[in-house]
Amino acid sequence: MKFLQKTIEKFDPLFEKGGKYEKLYPLFDGFKTFAFVPEHTAHTGAHIRDGIDLKRTMITVVLALVPALIFGMWNVGYQHYLALGLAGEMSFIDNILFGAVKVLPMVVVSYGVGLAIEFGFCIYKGHQINEGYLVTGMLIPLIMPVDLPLWMLAVSVIFAVIIGKEVFGGTGMNILNPALTARVFAFFAYPTYMSGDKVWINTATKEGQSVVDGFSGATALGDLANAGTTQYSAMDMFMGFIPGSVGETSTLMILIGAFILILTGIGSWKIMFAGVLGALAMGGIFNVFAEYAISPEQQAFMAVPAWQQLILGGFAFGVVFMSTDPVSAAQTERGKWIYGFLVGFFAIMIRVFNPAYPEGIMLAILLMNVFAPLIDHYVVQANIKRRMKRAQVQTANA
Amino acid sequence: MQELINIFAKAVFVENMIFAYFLGMCSYLAVSQTVKTAVGLGAAVIFVLGITVPINFLLENYVLQEGALAWLGPQFETVNLSFLSFIMFIAVIASMVQLVEMIIEKFAPALYGALGIFLPLIAVNCSILGGALFMQERAYSNITQASVFGLGSGVGWFLAIVAIAAIREKIRYSNVPAPMRGLGITFVITGLMGIAFMSFMGIKL
Repeated sequence: MKFLQKTIEKFDPLFEKGGKYEKLYPLFDGFKTFAFVPEHTAHTGAHIRDGIDLKRTMITVVLALVPALIFGMWNVGYQHYLALGLAGEMSFIDNILFGAVKVLPMVVVSYGVGLAIEFGFCIYKGHQINEGYLVTGMLIPLIMPVDLPLWMLAVSVIFAVIIGKEVFGGTGMNILNPALTARVFAFFAYPTYMSGDKVWINTATKEGQSVVDGFSGATALGDLANAGTTQYSAMDMFMGFIPGSVGETSTLMILIGAFILILTGIGSWKIMFAGVLGALAMGGIFNVFAEYAISPEQQAFMAVPAWQQLILGGFAFGVVFMSTDPVSAAQTERGKWIYGFLVGFFAIMIRVFNPAYPEGIMLAILLMNVFAPLIDHYVVQANIKRRMKRAQVQTANA
Repeated sequence: MQELINIFAKAVFVENMIFAYFLGMCSYLAVSQTVKTAVGLGAAVIFVLGITVPINFLLENYVLQEGALAWLGPQFETVNLSFLSFIMFIAVIASMVQLVEMIIEKFAPALYGALGIFLPLIAVNCSILGGALFMQERAYSNITQASVFGLGSGVGWFLAIVAIAAIREKIRYSNVPAPMRGLGITFVITGLMGIAFMSFMGIKL
């Protein structure tokens, strides 16, 4: 460690004011504070309550994502060999290796493109590097189908970082969750690569060559939305042995992540809990009113037990990792309950009612991101009103 | 009853005036600085839409349409006044806006001051005329449906302007790049909100 610090400090003069690479200081500083505690302190009235800072917060979320990532890699390989009919012969390592070859380039492209833009903006604006992209860069590959061409991934990342975040002034200012902005952009710009039943499993032996002609690898959610039934059991869906976006399939791994987030206090348990409540409420309403559906498929989907909606599709992933994003979620405590509940509520509603977009959770979270400031505004106003009343009562009594 | 609920939900979410048709953008962009004034203008638009659409519906069905004047006598059965529909709709809208203006000036002078020129300008707000023309085009079968559609469109517009006002209040502290400040960032936000509202597109009711 000492050696590393010495090496880094050797470069200090190059980047400081008047140095050769003065313009690149944010870049240098970003890497330096990544390894060591920053040496500059606040000059004005800062009140430190905790040793935690933005970087540590972000890294905790990335750690919470690791189980889902590793399982995602394994599942990519597993689904691939399953489609080829070789699942029995392949070992755990084979599956993971195949998945890693597919997934790691996505991670690299996502981080590479996103961080390059962030660095560019930092140097242009002359402020320090924001750590916000650490989490976004990890989330984006996890919510994309495995066969998405890498350039599409790159374009989505560029859109999300520039339009979703940098135009608002960078980390902490965005109104929509940047990772979801990337996904929604890809979803509407390249729909054939983002939905349907061909994109979720890699069935090619070599590049561009599909051995299994006409193989249908719809997700359990897609099956239910289109036909009302699925071949996968609830246990499979919970464990994650189903086709889907890279990191979203396994509810179990997501629960581990949720546990880490709640334990460290980084993700709001209120939002997660309220989201589950909202989904159960909507699922329950659908169960009761299933007979009023407009088509037999929709009726079958509406009759899916409410608890099963929780393990279908990306719901768990969205509620745990996306809706709890502290920037774009509601920020008042009571607002979090309302926000979370509506996320779950709308997610199931869009999923069932809108045949075009079975993945309701993505659009539900974006929708509630839009309304989160409004919820906060009214919660704050209600607080002001209540306290005014209390103050008036006290003065009247005194 | 279910029909009415469907029309209402469709007008609010699926065919939102702002996010699906981008109608009524001028006052939407100009009066969305604070939630309070946005609520005022939004309520005024709900009121105007909720009144003008049914009135225009009556006008359309009993005066303007071909054969609509049949109730006057058999000799009027072939009269077709539909070339007058634009001007008649606008006249109705303008008079209703006058009414709203007088009511607000009397009962909420502060709001009247805050809304300024944009209150009389509701008369030329495209979402209001748009509401009347959509009503004509979609040929709602009775006046209840028309008024529910008008109210729904108004509520959708209200939601949109109040939501963006809250967002603009929030980003007041953001370090938005200088060229994007003001209207630029508002357009970007509107686009992003439009993407979020696309979740309802394609829902069949």
